[in-house]
Amino acid sequence: MFTRRRMLAGATALGGAALLPGIAHAKGSVTAAIYPGTWEDAYRAIVMPALKKTYDVDLELQPLFAVDEVAKAKAARGAPPFDCFVLDPGPRITAIEAGLFEKFDGKKLSNASKVPSAFIDEWGICVGAQVVGIAYNPKKLPRPKGWKDLLTDPWVSRLGITGFQTTFGTVSLIEIAKQFGGSETNIDPALVELKKVLSKIAAVGQPAAMPGLFQQGQCDVMYTNTQTVATLKGKGVDIDFVKPDTGAVAFYTTLHIAKGSDAIENAYKYFDTVVSTPVQEALTKAPYNFLPANKDVPIPPDLPMKSLDEMSTYVLHDWAKINPLRAGWIEKFNKEMAK
Amino acid sequence: MGRRRSFSDIGYSFVIGGLALLALVIIVTPVVVVLAMSFGEGQSLKFPPTGFTFRWYAELFDASQSRQIHRAVGNSLEVAALSTLFGVLLGALGALGLSRSRSKAARLGESLFMSPLVLPGIAFGLAALMYFTFIGLRPSLGLIVAGHMIVTVPFILRTTGASLSQLDPALNDSSQSLGAAWLYTLRRVTLPLIAPGIAAGAFLAFMSSIDNVPVSLFLSTARTDMLPIRMWGMMESSLDVRIAAISGVLIAAAFVLMLLMEWTVGLTRRMRD
Amino acid sequence: MTTLTAKLRDWQLALPLALAFAALFLAPLLLLLGVTFFNDDRMTQPGLAQWAKFFGDPFNYKVIADTLLLGVKTVAATLIVGYPLALVFVDLSPRWQRVLLFVIVMPLLLSVVVRTFAWIVVLGHEGLVNTLLLRLGVITEPLKLLQTELGLVISLTQIEMPLMLLPLISVMSRLEPNLRDAAAALGASRWRTLFTVILPLSMPGLVAGCLLVFASSTTAFISQTVIGGVRLIYLPLVIWQQSLVVFNWPLAAVASMALLVSILTVIAALSWLGRRASGAVHG
Repeated sequence: MFTRRRMLAGATALGGAALLPGIAHAKGSVTAAIYPGTWEDAYRAIVMPALKKTYDVDLELQPLFAVDEVAKAKAARGAPPFDCFVLDPGPRITAIEAGLFEKFDGKKLSNASKVPSAFIDEWGICVGAQVVGIAYNPKKLPRPKGWKDLLTDPWVSRLGITGFQTTFGTVSLIEIAKQFGGSETNIDPALVELKKVLSKIAAVGQPAAMPGLFQQGQCDVMYTNTQTVATLKGKGVDIDFVKPDTGAVAFYTTLHIAKGSDAIENAYKYFDTVVSTPVQEALTKAPYNFLPANKDVPIPPDLPMKSLDEMSTYVLHDWAKINPLRAGWIEKFNKEMAK
Repeated sequence: MGRRRSFSDIGYSFVIGGLALLALVIIVTPVVVVLAMSFGEGQSLKFPPTGFTFRWYAELFDASQSRQIHRAVGNSLEVAALSTLFGVLLGALGALGLSRSRSKAARLGESLFMSPLVLPGIAFGLAALMYFTFIGLRPSLGLIVAGHMIVTVPFILRTTGASLSQLDPALNDSSQSLGAAWLYTLRRVTLPLIAPGIAAGAFLAFMSSIDNVPVSLFLSTARTDMLPIRMWGMMESSLDVRIAAISGVLIAAAFVLMLLMEWTVGLTRRMRD
Repeated sequence: MTTLTAKLRDWQLALPLALAFAALFLAPLLLLLGVTFFNDDRMTQPGLAQWAKFFGDPFNYKVIADTLLLGVKTVAATLIVGYPLALVFVDLSPRWQRVLLFVIVMPLLLSVVVRTFAWIVVLGHEGLVNTLLLRLGVITEPLKLLQTELGLVISLTQIEMPLMLLPLISVMSRLEPNLRDAAAALGASRWRTLFTVILPLSMPGLVAGCLLVFASSTTAFISQTVIGGVRLIYLPLVIWQQSLVVFNWPLAAVASMALLVSILTVIAALSWLGRRASGAVHG
């Protein structure tokens, strides 16, 4: 039986210990945001030990989605909760506009020469690419050829869509719009066409819910990236990736240093380790299946590209144009799709 | 005794019993689904599951395969325990104070103390991070505890307040007019009577802290990884079966805890008399 | 016997909580309020543009109304099945009460992440309900339950049930069991006893439960979007989009304030009703 005094004493002791703020940045460490799932698993398994071995720097990873990273850094202005970002093009531009990055100097990396020159700019370094296309359940549906098929039977009544909240959703809706006369800056045709078949569409979902909806047969065709398809397929889900006839969309994933970080030198060491040849080689292998960001690394045969030059054959979007329009698109999507 | 049951009384039993049964079905079905999936042999969350295995529980308890989950569980438990503890201390006292005061200020206070429950978590998380940074604090476990306490203390206030409002004010008055010291009245008369309310509130607060996503999202750091955030990532990226196993463990733990409590404190007995 | 010192003492009991709230809740809330008075998402020009934008759009009124209505429907559903369960609970022997209490709190032990997945399993196109009804021949085509408000309310009922039942049970089990016997002895039917004796006396717990359920269901972002889908638009979704996707914090803050104020209004009304009801009980 607790006496009150003992409880109070215990509370003070526990509380006192916990309320001391964690000592930020012990010497020789760097904190990096990382996407949950495959990215985190891979970086924990491969980059973390490599960084420790090469530079004796401890890597701490915080799993966060791109938009959450930007929101946290913006809210904690000047005192970033982590030293390094990992971002998609949309959030990357938002972060640049909000002044959340330190300037980046590619020359500081010992492995800079091994990275394609287009992969390094004044804000950061590209360490991977994601490819977006159509995923479907081959046991239930015939293979769709392209984006246009999604809006016709038999696919449309099994289709699950998401809005403009995510990068993959945005680029997919842009591609659908293009099939009906739209463009990178005009998505209205996609909304018009979707609205015509809205009553048939199986699910209009939250992006995070899509794998679950797909697995349980609520929808059998959706748009997503190759990595999600690879992961789910590896877990025994009936899912196949289709490169649409008008091309799959690719976008880069980039690393950046947070403004106000007090571990900038270690951040460079982290980036250098990520793009080093052995690390990149390990990352391209199963179960991680990353596209390499290092010219010395051969691309394994089961990846959707044969070489990095092939990136140019993919559909690329100009996020500087898309970003300012996105808020309006989200509102429009809400209104058009609302019941 | 022995009164002949009328037609309407039979109807009563039928309707009330039927609705209560429906409530039970709604409560239990998802739990059964999750437990069934946690023993499935498939590589991903799936229903109906195929086969039967303890593999996911084994993986979950394996330190090398689930180290990150263990860290997150530790953090989440620590935060929930501390925030509930502070919440009970402040909340039960607060409910006492509010229930006795009939002033306008007390009514205003009452709605103020409820508002964390209705301010969307994302908005509070965002505002809290901006505010803490503004006053020069960096996210830490202590700040998460503070944030969780604020969003969970309304549960304690409400359930305690409900018990208190049932308390006959005459009871206190007579105890005090009989010359009992105020503290004595509180300890011997009031507290035992409102204990069930406090216990219910503390349980709600603890569980809602364990399951809080938005506040943790903003206030956590790489060192203070929280369980629901990690589970969310596992769900979205890979439909990891271990997230069902985590719930299985939680249910088993609560079951054991309940038995222990029955044994030592007799929670239900107190709830009854 | 209430002296001035006693009054002061009562008030002081709430003081630590009030101080904690001032430092940890009111201050961030004021900051949030301050954010609403900026026109642009980079927060450089002060102004009322975001207020005008939010309240100038009729769509947002529909969203607010839908959000509150969702809360009302969930409260109603939870009450209709939850109150009978509480009635059954108080009639049970202590041993069975223990078992039932454990069952009642079970939803809280399922993390929201896996709970929403379970509801996809139950309500989905190929889910449990549809499979069962198809097998029984009640329906020939799968019902659309997931991504409808009906499905959402059903799933919210589950998670909100403990919030309704715990306050209700803690109040109801303190009611004098003799009361009901007395009513029965006086010839009142069980229905009459329920509505004229038990219901009024359990009012404090009922109101507390309704408040918690209303507040929690109107802000349940994850359930709303995962089970309801994004064609059902409630304010938390708007707030999430504005704060975490397009980073228009002034607009997100305005939407948060709108949600806060509209829910608090409903809660204040409910509290007032509850106070009147319990006032009537104690004279």
